[in-house]
Amino acid sequence: MFHWLEKNPFFFAVGVFVVIAYAGIVTVVPDFMESARPLKGVKPYTTLQLAGRQIYIENDCNACHSQLIRPFKSETDRYGKYSLSGEYAYDRPFLWGSRRIGPDLHRVGNYRTTDWNENHMLDPESVVPGSIMPKYGFMFDKSMDFDTAYAEAYTVKKVFNVPYDKPGMPKLGTYEEAKKAAIKEAGAIVADMKDQAVKDAYKKGDIKEIVAIIAYLNSLK
Amino acid sequence: MQSSNAINYDYTVAKYFTVATIVLGIVGMSVGVIIAFQLAFPELNNLAGEYGNFGRLRPLHTDAVAFGFTVSGIMATWYYIGQRVLKVSMAESKFLMFIGKLQFWLYIVTVAAVVVSLIMGITTSKEYAEFEWPIDIAIVVVWVLWGISIFGLIGIRREKVLYISIWYYIATFLGIAMLYLFNNMEVPTYFVAGVGKWYHSVSMYAGSNDAMVQWWYGHNAVAFAFTVPIIAMIYYFLPKESGQPVFSYKLSLLSFWGLMFVYLWAGGHHLLYSTVPDWVQTMGSIFSVVLILPSWGSAINMLLTMKGEWGQLKENPLVKFYVLASTFYMLSTLEGPIQAIKSVNALAHFTDWIPGHVHDGTLGWVGFMIIGALFHMAPRMFKKEIFSKKLIESQFWLQTTGIVLYFSSMWIAGITQGMMWRATDQYGNLTYSFIDTVEVLHPYWTLRAVGGLFYLIGVFMWAYNMYKTATSSRAIEKEPQYASPMA
Amino acid sequence: MNWLNDNVNLLTLIGAAAIVILTVVIVGKYIKQMKTDKSTGELSGNKWDGIEEYKNPLPMGWSLAFIGVIVWGLWYWLAGYPLGTFSQLGQYNEEVSNYTKRFESKWANPDKDTLMGMGEGVFLVKCAPCHGITGDGMNGKARDLTTWGTEDHIVDVVLKGSSGQGYPLGQMPAGMLDKASATAVAAYIVQDLAKTGKSKHPELVEQGKALYATCGACHGNDGKGNGGSAPALADYGKAQFIVDVLNHGKKGSIGNMLKFNDGRLTDIQKTAVGTYVNSLNKE
Ligand code: HEC
Ligand code: HEC
Ligand code: HEC
Ligand code: HEM
Ligand code: HEM
Ligand SMILES: [Ca+2]
Ligand SMILES: [Ca+2]
Ligand SMILES: [Cu+2]
Repeated sequence: MFHWLEKNPFFFAVGVFVVIAYAGIVTVVPDFMESARPLKGVKPYTTLQLAGRQIYIENDCNACHSQLIRPFKSETDRYGKYSLSGEYAYDRPFLWGSRRIGPDLHRVGNYRTTDWNENHMLDPESVVPGSIMPKYGFMFDKSMDFDTAYAEAYTVKKVFNVPYDKPGMPKLGTYEEAKKAAIKEAGAIVADMKDQAVKDAYKKGDIKEIVAIIAYLNSLK
Repeated sequence: MQSSNAINYDYTVAKYFTVATIVLGIVGMSVGVIIAFQLAFPELNNLAGEYGNFGRLRPLHTDAVAFGFTVSGIMATWYYIGQRVLKVSMAESKFLMFIGKLQFWLYIVTVAAVVVSLIMGITTSKEYAEFEWPIDIAIVVVWVLWGISIFGLIGIRREKVLYISIWYYIATFLGIAMLYLFNNMEVPTYFVAGVGKWYHSVSMYAGSNDAMVQWWYGHNAVAFAFTVPIIAMIYYFLPKESGQPVFSYKLSLLSFWGLMFVYLWAGGHHLLYSTVPDWVQTMGSIFSVVLILPSWGSAINMLLTMKGEWGQLKENPLVKFYVLASTFYMLSTLEGPIQAIKSVNALAHFTDWIPGHVHDGTLGWVGFMIIGALFHMAPRMFKKEIFSKKLIESQFWLQTTGIVLYFSSMWIAGITQGMMWRATDQYGNLTYSFIDTVEVLHPYWTLRAVGGLFYLIGVFMWAYNMYKTATSSRAIEKEPQYASPMA
Repeated sequence: MNWLNDNVNLLTLIGAAAIVILTVVIVGKYIKQMKTDKSTGELSGNKWDGIEEYKNPLPMGWSLAFIGVIVWGLWYWLAGYPLGTFSQLGQYNEEVSNYTKRFESKWANPDKDTLMGMGEGVFLVKCAPCHGITGDGMNGKARDLTTWGTEDHIVDVVLKGSSGQGYPLGQMPAGMLDKASATAVAAYIVQDLAKTGKSKHPELVEQGKALYATCGACHGNDGKGNGGSAPALADYGKAQFIVDVLNHGKKGSIGNMLKFNDGRLTDIQKTAVGTYVNSLNKE
C-alpha cells in the first residue's frame, strides 16, 4: 500500500492529512465547550482594564511573565490559590505564557499595589534591587488607546455574547458612556499615584498608558 | 544511467531563497544575541526606547529565525531538491517559475511587514503566531503559492516514485496549513465596532480553549517547521554528499508514518499542570515519550547510512555538519520527551531549561542542517567551488562550541532555578524570594550569550564563504555527482 | 541541602543525566560502526538524483525500544496517571495535607527563636519587595519598620493621626494631644498597658495613665480596642498587633499596604513575621 501511495501523490497527501488531522479532533474538540465556562463571580474586563491588557500584550510582558499558578504548594505559597479554568473565560487571547523570567502575575493584584507598581514600572530597581525587568518610563508619556479597547469590548459582546450590560456585570453602554466610566475608573488610580505629570494630564482628560496597565495589574486577583 | 546533467535545472528561485536564508539568519540570530545579553546586562534594554526592550525583541527573534531563516531554508532547499528528485526543471514551466518568483517576493514583503509590526508592538502575543490578521492573510497566500509549486512540480514529474524528502515536504505543507488556519481564527474589531485600530483583532477562542488550540499549534509548528522539513533535507543531502545509499527503506517508512501519527498528540506536554483537562495532559506525556522512536528512527537511519565511512566524516566538513545535526536531533528528541514526563515538567516548565532544549534542537539540528544544505547547493547553483574548506572547518568548531556553551549553561540555569522556586527552609517557608532566583542566573546567562555570539560569528563566516563562493571562487566545469568541491 | 529529598528534583536530575548518557552511548555506538563496519545490503532499485536505498531490516534495538515505550505508555495510562481517575487537584490536596501534618504539628508551640527564624524567612520573601530587605521602607516607598512600633512612633501617630486600616471608627484625628502629653501616653502604653518593656521616660508613666482617657474613648480603657472598633493598643509592640495590620491592610499617607488574607500565610507564619518585624526596632 505504501508503495502505491508513493506513486500517487494525491492519495499520499490525503493519507498524511487524515493521519495528522484526527489527533487534533480527538484531543481538542471534546472539552471545548465544557472546560472554559466562566466561574461564578468572574467578570469581563472593564474598558480601562482591557486597554491595560492590550498594553501588556503590545509589550509582550508574557515573554517574561506567566499567568498560570500550578497546583503545587510552592506556587500557591508564592502566588496564591492555583488557577482555575473558569477564571480565564474572558481572556482572549489567553496569557499563560511559557516562561518565568519574572514572577507569575495571575494574582499579582492581591499583593502589589498602585503605588508599588508605579515605582516599579518606572524603575524596577528602585524597589527590587537587582531586577532585570526593563524600565517602562515611556508608559508615563504615551496616552492610552481607549478606542481600540472599546472596539474589543464591543466586539466580544456582539460576536461572543460576553455578558456586558447584564445584571451584576460591568457596564459597557455606548461609546460615550464607556469613555466616561473609564475616565472615572482611571481617576481612582491616578489619585493613588505620585507622578505629577500623569495627574496633570488626567485633569485634561488624557489618560496615560501607565494608568491603564496598573488598572489591569490590579484586576489580576 | 539517469544522469541529472541531462536536465538543465533552473535554480533562480532557490538562489533568491538562499540569499533570504542568510540575511534573515543574520537578522534573527543577531537579535537572539542581543536579547541574550539583555538578560545578563539589563541596561541594554533601554538603548532604543520602547522599541528595543526584551519584550519587543524576543518575538522578533523567534519569528525571524522560525519564519525567516528556517522557512527560507525550507524554500531554498525545496526549489533545489524538488526539481532534482522529481527530475523536472522549473524552466520547463513558465507558470511554475512565475509562481515561485511571486511566492518569493510576496514572502519578502510579508517578512518586512512582520519585522516592522513586531517592533511597533503590533502583536496578538500567541507564541509563533503573533501576527495580526492582515499579515495572516499574506502568509496564507504565500503558503498556497508554495502548495501550487509543490503539486505543480509533482504533476509534471518524470520520476514516478516520490523520494522520501518529497514525503516530508508534502507533510510540511499540509501540517502548517492546517495548524496555522485554526490557530489564527480571530475577529477584526474595527469592522465590528467601527472605532479603534484597523488592524486589531480578538481571538475566537478564550482561556483554556485558546491555550489548547495554541499549543496544539505551537507544538506542531515545531514539528512541521523545525523537524519534518529538516528531515526532508537530511534525507537528501547526507546520502547525496556522501554517495552512500540510505540505510533502510523500512526504517524510513516506519519513521515517517510513525512521526505523522504520533506528533500531533503530543501538544499536551506544553500544558502540564495547567487548567486543561487531566486526560489531555496525560495523553501529551504518553505520546511524547513514544515520539522518541519515530524521531530516532530517522536519525539512526542517517547515522547507519554512514556506516564504514569514517574517512568521510574526517575529511568532509559538510558530512560533519550533517552527522552532528542528527546527533543534536537525537539529543533534543530524547530531552523533549523526558521534559514531557509530568514530574520532570513540574520542575522544568517555565525555566531556562526549556530554551536550553529549544536551542540544542534549533542551533544543532535546524541551523546545522540548513547551513550544511546550502553549502552543498552552492557549488551546483553557482557552478563554482566552495570558497574555503578551512573556513568551514573553523566555523564548524566555533559553532559547536557555541552550542555546547548554550545548552549546558541553560541546563544548569534551568534546573537551579526550578529547584530554588520550590525550595523550602526548615520551617516550611519558601527559602528564596523571586529576585534571588533571578540573580543567581547571571553567570549562566552571560555564558549563554557568549555561546550565542560564537554561533552568530559562525553564521557570518558562513555568509562570507557563500558570498565568496558565488562571486570569486574557482569555476567548475562539470557538476560533481557526490562530494562537493571546495578549495 | 534538602533539595534532593524532593522527589521531583531527584527525578529531574536523573532525567537530565539520562539524556546525556543515553545520547552519548548510542551515538557512540553508531560512530564506532562508521569506523569499523561496512555498509551492505540489497538495494531497492530506485534511484533519485543518484541516491539509492537499501532494503535493510529495522535495527533490532530500535524495534524493541519502540515496543518498550508503547508498553510504558500503557502503564502510564492505566496505572501511573490513570485516565479518568487521576486528578492533579487531588494530588495537590494530598501534598498540602501531608505538609500540614508535618509542619503545623511540629510548630504548634513555637519558641521565640523559631518564630524569629521563621519570621525572617517570611519577611524576606513576602515583605521585602515593599519594605526593603532591612525593613527601612526604601526611601519612603513603604513604612520604615525599623522605627515603627516604638514609643516615638506612638507620639508620631498622635501628632499626625492615622487612617487607612478600615476600622469601624475610621480615622484617628491628628493633634489630639501636644507633644509632651503624647510622650507621656506613649510611656504608659509601653510600660503599663502593653507591658512590652521599660519606657524611656519611666517618670511620665503615671501622668500618661491619666491622659490615656483621651485614647480610651476609642481604643478602650483596657486597650483592647473597644470590641474591634480601633486597634488594640494593649497589643502594641507585640506580634499580635502586626497580625492585625496584616489582616486589615492599610491605605495610609505613604501608600497602600494590602491585606494578607489570600491564604499565602498561615497564622503561625503571621505571628512569626510579627515577632520578626517587632525585633527590627532595636530600642
Ligand atoms: C526582561 C523580562 C521582563 C519583562 C519584559 C517584563 N518583566 Fe516584569 N518582572 C521581571 C522580573 C525579573 C521581575 C522580578 C524582579 C522585580 O520584581 O522587578 C518582574 C516583576 C514584575 C512585577 C512584580 C511582581 C511581583 O510579584 O513582585 C510586576 C507587576 C511586573 N513585573 C509587571 C510587568 C509588566 C506589566 C510588564 C510589561 C509591560 C513586564 N513586567 C515586563 C522581568 C520582566
Ligand atoms: C477618634 C477615635 C480615636 C481616638 C480618640 C484615638 N485613636 Fe488611636 N486609632 C484610632 C483608629 C480608628 C485607628 C486605626 C487607624 C488606621 O486605620 O490606621 C487608631 C490607630 C492608632 C495607633 C496605631 C497606628 C499604626 O501605626 O498602626 C496608635 C499607636 C494609636 N491609635 C494610638 C492612640 C493614642 C495614643 C491615642 C490617644 C492620644 C489615640 N490613639 C486616640 C482611633 C482613635
Ligand atoms: C505591596 C507592598 C507591601 C507589602 C508586600 C507589604 N507591605 Fe507593609 N506596608 C506597605 C506600605 C505602603 C505601608 C505604609 C502604609 C501607610 O501608612 O501609608 C506599609 C505599612 C506596614 C506596617 C505599618 C502599618 C501601620 O499601622 O502603620 C506594618 C507593620 C507592615 N507594613 C508590615 C508588613 C509585613 C509584616 C509584610 C509582609 C508579611 C508587609 N508589610 C508587606 C506596603 C507593603
Ligand atoms: C520527541 C520530540 C520532542 C518532544 C516530545 C518535545 C517536548 C517538549 C517539551 C516537553 C517542551 C516544554 C514545554 C514546557 O514545559 O514549556 C518543549 C518545548 C519546546 N521544544 Fe520540544 N520536544 C521535542 C523535540 C523538539 C525539537 C526537535 C525541537 C526543535 C528543533 C523542539 C523545539 C521546542 C521548542 C521551540 C519549545 C518551546 C515551546 C515554547 O515556546 O514554550 N522540540 N518540547
Ligand atoms: C545566535 C544564536 C541564538 C541566540 C543567541 C538565541 C538566543 C535566544 C534567547 C536569549 C531566547 C529567549 C530565551 C528565554 O526565554 O530565556 C531565545 C528564544 C528562542 N529562540 Fe533563539 N537564539 C539563537 C538562535 C536561534 C535559532 C537559530 C532558532 C531557530 C531556528 C531559535 C529559536 C528560538 C525559539 C523557538 C525561542 C523561544 C523558546 C521558548 O519560548 O521557549 N533561536 N533565543
Ligand atoms: Ca515559549
Ligand atoms: Ca494571527
Ligand atoms: Cu511540543
